[in-house]
Order: sequence, then structure tokens, then C-alpha cells
Amino acid sequence: MGQLGEASVSTGSSGAGTPALRLGGAGKRFARNWGLRDVDLEVGPGELVALTGPNGAGKTTLLKIVSALHRATTGTVEVLGCRLPAEENLVRERSTLLPPHGYVYEQLTGLENLRFARLMAGVKPTSETREQIDRALDRVGLLAAADERVGGYSSGMRKRLAIARLLLRPVELVLMDEPYASLDVAGIELVDEIVGELRAGGSTILLASHRWERAIREADRLVVMERGRITWMGSPGEWAGRPAGAGGA
Amino acid sequence: MSEPSVSPRLRGWHRILGLVALVTTVSGSVVALFLVPPDALQGQVERLLYVHVPAAWLAFLAFFVVFVMSVLYLIQRDPRWDMVAASSAEIGVLFTALTLALGSLWGKPTWGVWWTWDPRITTTAILLVIYVGYLAVRSFAEDPERRARWSAVVGIVGFADVPIVYLSVTWWRSLHQPPSSPMSMAPAFVWTLMLNVLAFTLVYWYLLLRRYRVAVAERELEDRAAEG
Amino acid sequence: MEMWLRTWAILWKDILIEVRTKGTFNAMAFFAALILFIFSFAIGPDFELLRRIAAGLLWVGITFTGLLALARTYHSEELAGGLEALLLYPGEPRAIFLGKLIGNLMVLLVVEAILYPVAAVLFHMQLAGHVLPVAGIAVLGTFGFSVIGTFYSALTLHLRAREVMLPLLVLPLLVPVILGAVSATAALIDPSARGGVGGWVRLLIAFDVLYFVVCTWTFPVLLER
Repeated sequence: MGQLGEASVSTGSSGAGTPALRLGGAGKRFARNWGLRDVDLEVGPGELVALTGPNGAGKTTLLKIVSALHRATTGTVEVLGCRLPAEENLVRERSTLLPPHGYVYEQLTGLENLRFARLMAGVKPTSETREQIDRALDRVGLLAAADERVGGYSSGMRKRLAIARLLLRPVELVLMDEPYASLDVAGIELVDEIVGELRAGGSTILLASHRWERAIREADRLVVMERGRITWMGSPGEWAGRPAGAGGA
Repeated sequence: MSEPSVSPRLRGWHRILGLVALVTTVSGSVVALFLVPPDALQGQVERLLYVHVPAAWLAFLAFFVVFVMSVLYLIQRDPRWDMVAASSAEIGVLFTALTLALGSLWGKPTWGVWWTWDPRITTTAILLVIYVGYLAVRSFAEDPERRARWSAVVGIVGFADVPIVYLSVTWWRSLHQPPSSPMSMAPAFVWTLMLNVLAFTLVYWYLLLRRYRVAVAERELEDRAAEG
Repeated sequence: MEMWLRTWAILWKDILIEVRTKGTFNAMAFFAALILFIFSFAIGPDFELLRRIAAGLLWVGITFTGLLALARTYHSEELAGGLEALLLYPGEPRAIFLGKLIGNLMVLLVVEAILYPVAAVLFHMQLAGHVLPVAGIAVLGTFGFSVIGTFYSALTLHLRAREVMLPLLVLPLLVPVILGAVSATAALIDPSARGGVGGWVRLLIAFDVLYFVVCTWTFPVLLER
């Protein structure tokens, strides 16, 4: 029961050695403050990196910059071998973001939201794509509710819909912003399963979360952020094994 | 992002420019007010034109500068272009308002009304609204990058509109009244006018540089306030 | 090809949402008709005068209603969490502009299809025999209106005081459109009006083409974040 479409993802032009992600001194300034400051981060292809930190730490900003939804104000950003912001579109083609709150349209049904997503991604509507959508809905347990308007969905269901949307587009780089939020135990397990499948397929994953779930425990690396900066980096095991009271470096 | 700053040499030239502008303005005013004979038809009121016409010229020059700087900013994303554009817009809006006020003042004794729908003055009024829109966008956008980007777009799209507005209003007016006869001007008048146009242009450049320097300081303040 | 799929996606989605959000369109249509009524009361029962200025009143009504419609261009995106709902997908960003433009154009044309007959009745306009040319002018004018409005509604989306900013930015630019549409319509239906229709039509076309190109080309700048 792998990902829909190919079992693994080609790494495209980035090749075996190119880091999936390279940030040098990246910063993002908003009207009154800096959401991100002096971030240096390199992520290799196929890595699973977990991001954690309190609210406002900059996790979401970081993910949005990497997925080319935001432009960095300072520093260099290179994603999958592409320079941002010059090659934004290329990056958006080869990566995807799972946002904390769906970006789904309430007046449309779950099915229509996914059909919209496919059309927007430039995929012609055929019977085959319709089947793919059904399979994605089934995987996340929304097949029964597919023809109901999203306005009537619970927040957990909306999250599942966003996950279904993610499954429909196999990409090299997957960014997840609080994937566990709003989900029940079954949903959390589903996310962990999917993360595992994506890894097996060769995708690089950057996952931001407050919660300490399996995917975080099994991550290759843990990055801790606070107030826009990276304060600690290491393996999840090290972080869990820290003596009580020790903060970020 | 390059750090904008103003070199000492620039400040030196700036002072010279200010002096020259002052001298030219004073001589232009003296000539316009005292030396040139009053117009045969309009009398002393006609002297207003020596300020009104240069002000109008400047209103459009300033907006042209806004346009050029906006284009440059969108291409190069250098914040300095944005600051020059904003400075020019502020000066431009003053001159535009001045143009309209003087036009009114001149129009009342000449044609008996405070406002005519003459194509040129109407276009100037619309130019004023476009300027105000530009400045409003700047004051309502707090993020400096967005502010620069959005006002650049407004500056470009707005500028493209001015000739079209002029064309359409001219057409519209020509349907309802014969075009106002162009005023014939004796050489003395023309020279005085040119002198004042030159004076105003120098004043504009002086003010632009001044405002730019203030903008640099404001920008620095803003950058410092956003630390953290 | 993919660009047209995206354009269609947005158009389809917006139509679906609009149809399911009953009431908004109806309210707009009533609002438009109401404006025309208010004009009649404000100007008084001089029917000859009303007939002469009918085209102008009509277009003022269209303008105000149009501003309302334009303000809601990205309403569904705002409810869904933001413009990022559209930026999540790779592809030509200008398709977003085109999709929204066609959507706005359609809404406005439908409102006008209601307004013109209402105005014809209220103001005793003689539209008979001129329906097609008048409709053509309406389309040209509405197109220019929609281009500028759709463009600026993206710009003012995140701007403070945007209910005021949208009209402030859009109206000065629309002067040629309003002048053109009103003058051409008046020249067509009012025997006492002077001025050639052809010239105004050419102006409208030139305006539409110019701004369509400028706005479509510049649109991605507005999407940057």
C-alpha cells in the first residue's frame, strides 16, 4: 500500500550529492519583527528532519520559505539545487507543503476540493485521475464523506483531506507543518505511516511539530528553534536524553 | 540588501544646488513680479501663470521620476530606488496641489468660475488623486518590502493612465466646447516663463535630495526598530 | 495548456462557490437597481433630463456595484486561509489573474444584463434598435473595469483600509473607461448627443488591450510574499 503513482520518486536534476536544502544566513522580515534570523541549515536528500520549538519560533516561516511560498529577506536559499526566489516555480513543482489548517474551500465538497487541486496542478481530469482521487480519499478514510461540503467537516477531517491532497502529488521534498494537529490516534498513526512510506520512496521530509510522535523519534535529525533562530541541532535521542533543565545551546 | 547611505561629497553638491536654486528662484520671481510688463488682456492676474505653469511642469516631471524609479525598483529591488520614488511623490503631490490652486485662482477673474473642465486641469486633478493613492498605499503598508513593491506597481500603472486620461478628457471636452485658444506669448513672457521653469526644476531636485536623505534616516530607524 | 487548466480551475471553483452562496449575487443586483432609483429621486422628475443623462447614471451605478463585486474577488481564498491556497500549486501565476478576471467579468455582465433594462425603463432610454452595439460597448467598458479592478483587488488584499483603498486606486484609472462607455452609449441612443461612436470604441479597445497586457504581465509581482 504505497504512495499513489510511482513507488519511489526520481531525484531529478539534483543528483545524489546535492543537498535537498541549503540555507545560508536566511532571514525573513515582517512588518515589525524578524520571523527568521541567521538560519544556516543543510539537509541531505532522503533525510527526515524534525523541527520543533514554541509558537512564533519561526518553524512555519522556515517551511514556507523552503516551499517557495515566502521569499527570504536575507541570506541564500537553495532548494533541490534551485536558487530561490529565481526558480520559484521549479521548487513548487518538486515540493509540497502540508499546512496546519487545510487551505480548503468550505463551500466545496471534499471531492471537489481535490479535483480543484488536481486541475490547479495542471492535471487533466480523466477517469484515471478520478480513480486516483478516490484512492487517496479512501486511504485517509474520507471516501464516505467525499460528497459532503467541507464546511461540515471536523478539523480532523479537514486535515485528512489536506493529507489526501498531499498523497496525490508525489514529490521529492515534503514539508509538513504540524501534521498531527487536529488528528485523533488513528490519524496520528496514518501520518506516521505516510511519513514512513515517503521516506522509503526517497523523499526528503521536513516536519515541524509540537508533538513528540513516532516520526519525530525516528527522524534523522532534530532542529530546535526559538524566536526565529536555530538554537539546537542533533539527533532526537540526544534531545530526549538531555538532563532536566538544560535548554537550547 | 545594500545599505543606503549618503556620501559627504553628495552633501557638498547638494548645498551648491540649493544655493543655485535659491538664486534662480529669487531672480525668477523678481522678473515675474516686477520686470515683465503685465499682459494686455489679462492684466496682473497673468503673473500667476509664471508660477502655475512651472508647477504643472513639475507635477508631471515628479510623477515621471516616480514611474522610472518604480520600474527600476521592480527590476533591481534596490531599496534606494524606492526611497527616491517616494520622495518624488511627496514633492509631486505638493506641486500638483499648487497647480490646481493657482489654476483656480487664475480662472476666477479670467473666466468667472473657480473650476473649468479644461482637459489639462482636469487631468492634473486626476493626477493628484493618483498621487494620493500612491502615498496612501505607502502609509497603509507597514512591511517595507511590500510597501515598496505595491507602490511601485501603483506608480507604474498610474503613470500609464495619465496620457490616456488626457486624451479622453480632451475628446470629451471637444464635444461640448471649442478648444480654448492657445495664448500667444511675446518673447519677454516666454523668457520669464523659462526662467521660472528652470528655477522650479532646480528647487525640485534640491527638495528631492533633501527628502531622500530624510528617507534614508527613516529607513535606518525602521530597520533598527525591527530588530529581534 | 496547463495554464488554461488552472484558469478554468479557478473559474469553475468560483462559480461553484458563488452559486452555493445564495444571496450575495441577488443582493448585488438589488443594490444596483436601488442606486438607479436613488438617482431618479435625487435628480427629480425632469424626465427629459433623466433621459439625456441616463447613460451616465447607468455607468455610475455599474461602477459602484462593480466595486462591491471586485472587493470580493479573493473572498473564498480569504475564508480558506489566504492566497497561499492558490500558491500551493505549481504553475503559471498569471492563470490566477485570468481566472479571477473572467469570473469578475461574468458577474458584472450578468448584473448589467439586469441593470440596462431597469435603466431603460426608469430613464426612458430608447434602446430598441441599438441593443447589440450598446451591449458591445458595455462589454468593452466592463472588460477594462474588470482588468483594473481584479488587478488592484489583489494589491489591496493585505492593505489596511482596503475598502477605501480599492476605490481610491481604481477610480482615477477608470476615468477613460467611464467617459468612453458613457459617451459612446449616449451617442448611440440619444439623437441630440454629438460625437462619433467609432472614436470612443477605439479608445476603449486601446485601453482594454493596454491594461490587459500591463496587468497580466505585472501580476506575479503582486503575488510575492
